[in-house]
Amino acid sequence: MLKSILRSIFRGDPPSTRKGRSELVFYNFWLHIHPAKVRKEHLRLRHTGYLGFVSFFLLLILGVTGLALMFYYHPYPARAYQDMKDLQFVVFLGPFLRNMHRWAGQLLVVAVFLHLCRVFYAGAYKEPRQFNWVVGVLLLFLVLTLSFTGYLLPWDQKAFWAITVGTNIVASAPLVGPVVKVLLLGGHTLGTQALLRFYVLHVAVLPGLAAALVMVHLWRIRKDGGLAPSPFQPEESSPPARERPIPSSPEKTYGLMGIVTGKPAFEVLVPEEEEAVFSYPYAFLREGIAFLATSAAVMALALLYNAPLSEVADPSKTPNPAKAPWYFLGIQELVSHSPALSGILLPSLLVLALLLLPYYDGNPSRRPKDRLLALSLFALVVLAYLVLLLIGLYFRGAGWSWVWPWAKGTGGTA
Amino acid sequence: MNRRSFLSLSTASAAALIATAGMGLVGLFRFLLPRVFYEPARRFKAGYPADFPPGQPVFLPLEKVYLFHDPAKGFSAASAVCTHLGCTVQWSERDRQFECPCHGSVFAADGAVLRGPAPRPLRWLEVTLSKDGQLQIDKNRSVSETYHLLVPA
Repeated sequence: MLKSILRSIFRGDPPSTRKGRSELVFYNFWLHIHPAKVRKEHLRLRHTGYLGFVSFFLLLILGVTGLALMFYYHPYPARAYQDMKDLQFVVFLGPFLRNMHRWAGQLLVVAVFLHLCRVFYAGAYKEPRQFNWVVGVLLLFLVLTLSFTGYLLPWDQKAFWAITVGTNIVASAPLVGPVVKVLLLGGHTLGTQALLRFYVLHVAVLPGLAAALVMVHLWRIRKDGGLAPSPFQPEESSPPARERPIPSSPEKTYGLMGIVTGKPAFEVLVPEEEEAVFSYPYAFLREGIAFLATSAAVMALALLYNAPLSEVADPSKTPNPAKAPWYFLGIQELVSHSPALSGILLPSLLVLALLLLPYYDGNPSRRPKDRLLALSLFALVVLAYLVLLLIGLYFRGAGWSWVWPWAKGTGGTA
Repeated sequence: MNRRSFLSLSTASAAALIATAGMGLVGLFRFLLPRVFYEPARRFKAGYPADFPPGQPVFLPLEKVYLFHDPAKGFSAASAVCTHLGCTVQWSERDRQFECPCHGSVFAADGAVLRGPAPRPLRWLEVTLSKDGQLQIDKNRSVSETYHLLVPA
């Protein structure tokens, strides 16, 4: 009886055989995004840093903890802050869940950014993976938007003023700015309507979009021929003809089977026996470790550090200094130097440059020594932003004036 | 069905589909744009002139307005919303200037930009006397920084 139930769920052969190990992946809805076999090289930590997995696991953690927090949260100014206090002091496991959600969110920004850097330095956005890079940049943008909308929900002073500044940056965009601001806030000032709108965006609209894009992102990895080989490999990795799709011809007719069996459009030829291992157990074991490490890191942070909560939002009193979340401080620093346009124009150009990168970067080589200009330009932009961010974080005090971090009574960090 | 009618039917269908999607977008846009704003009124009564003796400006927190009373010239009202990114500026009596805590803009007592990223001077708002004798401030009406309302005592 038990055996027949199990057989009805797991249809493949037992994983003691090679056929069974393939079927375990192939017949399983949750696992079949994996190939049955993976290259050994791609499982090495130094190949990817597992940054994509870490980002995905952080998204899972954020989804679960976020769902839990929703049970105790009213998106209404008179209640929102009280709910935060309840989560801090009354709700069982409330502080732990809130801390986890906050730190996982911040780690996600870091992980996604490092993931982007890794893919850039490996040149993995080049043909045939251009479109997946675009999806990835859109996901980065979504993560930042999720973080921005989530930042308002505690309805404390920091939230209120960070979002006031943020939405006014939006409003400074030419032509559409003021209308977009009203759409975003559901009014002209940050109030009841704005909190509700940010809540709906944060818990439904944006996670839905992100989930859809994540699915496309993962699916495209397979369809684009798996992970990109290391850029340091000798000759073999130079644009292989076999990664190109098989050209179609009007003289031939194709059935579905002609596409599905044989070599899928972009499939890299099945690696040699000694280069590849079965996904079960080799890849799954490592993914499991990555998941446990990510969860452990988030939980440790949640146990050690409490998510900040300042006083209840007061529209009539701007705290001094008013700082955005730390990863937006580079933009705030820029905005404080020149008109609000630099809060819109420069970031928009940057996002556009990132989105279109695979299409204007005509250099076919993925080897670092052939890409010195691209690599150093990228490093320069990242470094410039980091410097601006650190200035905003440690060197700005009351009235956004310059202070030395070691001087007494400085503004403190975000 | 011949080739010609098939093509024209397809074109018409495609056009109808695009038009429907476009109308959906316009509808969504209009749906998200509220018809009623539950916000503090843009034109409001601040109180009776006698409530505001000359001296330091009074900050009206709900409306974010500084009300000045000059003994010689009368009443004037400045918006406390920084013209840079909308933070609330604070009046410093010591330096007789407005200071923005967000990005360090500083405005003179007449609203002119002294320092920082603010692109425009602070807005001065029309102050009138309502029928019941209260000071009425209209945030929809900007006036020059020399505008004052003199109320005979």
